[in-house]
Amino acid sequence: MSLLAYGDSSDTEPDALVDFTAMLRQRQRQFGCGNKAQAEQADDQGYYLEQYVLGVLDFSSQYGIDYSISYTAANVIGRPTKYPAYGDYPETFTMRTYGDWWKRAPSATREIQAQNLPKLATQDYIVVYFEEFVVPTEVVIYETFNPGAVVRIWAYGMTKHWTCLWEAESETDSDLARPPADSRRFAPPLNNTAVITKTLRIDFNHSRLNYYTEIDAIMLCGRTVSRIKSLLGKQQRQQLKKPEFVSLPVAIPLTPKAESSLESSPISGGGPISYKLRSLKFQPKCRPDGATKLHEFINNDLSQFLMENRVEGGEQQQPAVVPSICLTDLPFEILLRILSYLDLKSLFRVGQVSRIFYDISSHPLLYAELSLKPYWHLASSTLLCTLALRATMLRKLDLSWCGGLGNISPTEFKKFLTQRGDNLTHLRLNSCKFLNSSCIETVGIVCDNLIELSLRNCATDPPLLNFSCLANLKNLERLDLFQTAFEPELLLSMLEGNRKLKHLNLAFCGVSVNMDNVAAHLATYNTQLISLDLWKAHFLSARGLLSLARLHQLEELDLGWCLREASLGDGLFQLLSNCPKLKKLFLSAVRGTTERDLMHIAALGKSLEQLDLMGILNITHERVYDILVHCPKLQLLDLSFCDNIMDRDFDVLADWSRHFNVDIKSSRVYVPR
Amino acid sequence: MDLDLDLDDPRDRSPLQQMLDLALMAAYAGGQVLRTLWRLMGAEALGSSTEAEMEECRPSRRHPQRKSQKEHHYNHQGGEGDYLRYDEILLAKMRNNNDKKHQYPRLVTVVCGFPKNFAMYPRYVRGKFGEDAWFHSSSPQADTLGVADGVGGWRSYGIDPGEFSDFLMRSCHRLATNRNYDARRLDWLLSRAYLDLLEQKCPVLGSSTVCLLSLNRENSTVYTANIGDSGFLAVRSGRILCRSLEQQHQFNTPYQLSSPPPNLGGQFLIDSPDSADFQEFKTRPGDVLLLATDGVYDNLPLELILEVLSEMAGVEDQMVLQMTANSLALMARTLSTNPLYDSPFSRKARKMNVESSGGKRDDITVLLASVI
Repeated sequence: MSLLAYGDSSDTEPDALVDFTAMLRQRQRQFGCGNKAQAEQADDQGYYLEQYVLGVLDFSSQYGIDYSISYTAANVIGRPTKYPAYGDYPETFTMRTYGDWWKRAPSATREIQAQNLPKLATQDYIVVYFEEFVVPTEVVIYETFNPGAVVRIWAYGMTKHWTCLWEAESETDSDLARPPADSRRFAPPLNNTAVITKTLRIDFNHSRLNYYTEIDAIMLCGRTVSRIKSLLGKQQRQQLKKPEFVSLPVAIPLTPKAESSLESSPISGGGPISYKLRSLKFQPKCRPDGATKLHEFINNDLSQFLMENRVEGGEQQQPAVVPSICLTDLPFEILLRILSYLDLKSLFRVGQVSRIFYDISSHPLLYAELSLKPYWHLASSTLLCTLALRATMLRKLDLSWCGGLGNISPTEFKKFLTQRGDNLTHLRLNSCKFLNSSCIETVGIVCDNLIELSLRNCATDPPLLNFSCLANLKNLERLDLFQTAFEPELLLSMLEGNRKLKHLNLAFCGVSVNMDNVAAHLATYNTQLISLDLWKAHFLSARGLLSLARLHQLEELDLGWCLREASLGDGLFQLLSNCPKLKKLFLSAVRGTTERDLMHIAALGKSLEQLDLMGILNITHERVYDILVHCPKLQLLDLSFCDNIMDRDFDVLADWSRHFNVDIKSSRVYVPR
Repeated sequence: MDLDLDLDDPRDRSPLQQMLDLALMAAYAGGQVLRTLWRLMGAEALGSSTEAEMEECRPSRRHPQRKSQKEHHYNHQGGEGDYLRYDEILLAKMRNNNDKKHQYPRLVTVVCGFPKNFAMYPRYVRGKFGEDAWFHSSSPQADTLGVADGVGGWRSYGIDPGEFSDFLMRSCHRLATNRNYDARRLDWLLSRAYLDLLEQKCPVLGSSTVCLLSLNRENSTVYTANIGDSGFLAVRSGRILCRSLEQQHQFNTPYQLSSPPPNLGGQFLIDSPDSADFQEFKTRPGDVLLLATDGVYDNLPLELILEVLSEMAGVEDQMVLQMTANSLALMARTLSTNPLYDSPFSRKARKMNVESSGGKRDDITVLLASVI
């Protein structure tokens, strides 16, 4: 459905059902012969266009299951359906997580190469495309529930580069200016770019949000370009003129002068920079906590430092003071240690300083853990080639979100993996759209030491994971198949092979999987399992729950939207009494939960920290009070959409929340219309 | 006004109710007269006066939808008359542009209906007549219509039966306006809509009969899906071309999609979307399609429906169609409240040895479409 409205033509009646494509073409033709068009051609501006999303290319996670139309990414398509209203509406796009509750859960993972992450790290994203190429003047995001998660807006230009149109200020600022709990039309001021785009990527960070955020629609406004080809050529020429790293979308606060000094510095004889570095009394504090953050210095102060010293160098040709110690005099190990605090980009930049720094900065030890996830927009086959030369001791690799629009070829990835993959212990390939079945085959054959394999959101049709070679992996402790389809037989054989499995994520797995069989397998072979996520994995019945109750080490169990049948039977009681370590229990929309089950939770859930009872109908506030009193460690209690907790109880809940120091979520019941 | 008055007893009516009845009768008669006039004088002669009459035809508490362009902004606005949509205008224009080529058929669709109990549903909401719900969506590829009749028995469990049917229809509407919607796969539409209902945070409880109908323009074929005792009727030159099969477990207990409350589960009928009756047939301009809930079929004799529908063959004018739909709904409504009328429902009931007489009071929804 295409939805285009013209800013300057009021005679057009936009209707949600109308396909305007044909009209638009006509209109363009009309413009092509009219006076207006001639005027416009003179300044090459085209006309002003407001357009809504035509389709979703990619997303990292969604709340709803893919065949549904509730809480799924496809709901951002078209004009806003709910916008001025505020509330929890299924007609919007909702992501899987909110707040830091998932980070606090036992299944939380550590980021690989965490120094790469920007201050406001991206947790989720959505890539959408529009009908027409425009030079964006405004991007409007309609947020209808818990606004404030958007941290970055990217545009994919015609030159096949991602450009950051807007980035949120650092965390402290956003905390001060936290948006009120009301729907909003979020239109941040965009960077002044001339990028021609029809594809946007919105980055989200919802760690500070109180509850799920919901996005109703995204609008891209801008001027169309009538002579795209000529403009494109101009842009390309401009881009060629610029040095390569300046054209990178992330703004690097290097002043042009510093750049030129970097560029022009001859390597012969140490060069002026290394000379000046030596001439300085530069003694970095190498405290083990790494708080000095060398990369911050390089990012922010190096340019100033260089400028100052150039001025000094001009004045005093011969340095009066002979330095007692300089950076390169430090032992190699210490330099290595210092550089290990650098993010990947700074590491590459340091390598440009001098030959010595190049040698240090390309040391394999610095590349034992590699994460290109924060550099998804730069990742390409060439970068993989370069890294393959350096990362000879690669242990942990995170290529999540990379290669989205064909930047990484499967062949190149396979080559990289065959060269450097044999020692890999951790491999994360979340939302990697380039993956094909032969890539997975390579993983199965080459990386046989894997401890962690994460293939979130790699759903393709036919399922990617239908190759028995993955059953080669015998040492897995963590397997993440969130929103990824797989062959049930393969999963069962993998469960059988990996007895040490501790964390398993099967959220959103397809309807073909009989979860009762999986649960029985888990109970038989994977008794060390700590966390299990079965969010929206249908076809788990009370029988499966009884099998799960045999996993004594369980600390985290997500059964959201499972167990569609009427009653849970004895399962929950068995589970709670057999798994005393259970810290997180999600029973979202497990409608069969009875009052008796809640009493069991109160009686047996001594170590419970997070409890989700969203959408369970028969909860009375006596039971809630019971749970609050008897679960001393409880931090999160989700009671949204619990019918019996009426409006008058919300004040009581707020009181309890303060008194027991528990974060009680209680979204009001959504009343249609 | 006493809203607690028992409106179910026809002898014990409030003055308001009586006035409403009178108004309905007058409107019905007016509709008849208008139809005759129309036939006699041709379409142009009546012009704007029709619109005024049309508005009188409806109970005043509804928002009549004028033919103004303003209302095309929003989907869920306006009255029950589903006038020519903007995309249809567009389509007509496109057809005019290249009418030499494919003349794909399309539907002109109108809606009329009444809730059984006005006191319970005092406000008109588009897409709902009491416990009945309907939707209509139109795209360049296909027209899709649907009705759903919420099973009234849930009221005794404290569940609004209209909620389920309304939600189902709204889901269908959203799915049918989706870009990758395939009008040939109504099984897909029905099961998706049903599954979506189970994906709601706030559970939608109840059950409902459903009848869906879609016209795929490209191969001019009508596809239908039916669960329960709502149904469609396709009429070509005065004869039944195709009609839905009534699916019942027992008398007055139709097949139904349902989502019972968890604490009562196990003792209710749950029919899966697969148990629907799917049909398809070729259509051509001049066919008339009626999609209605059992409130219509149980009160109007089939012969009467056929007679009315056969007059509508090839009618392009939305107004004429709307009046017919109004008459059908009004007739059903009037007959349903008549305790002396020997309705098809009571005849059927007597056949099943169930004591019954008079009309069957029920919500009434009529979706009338003419293929042109």
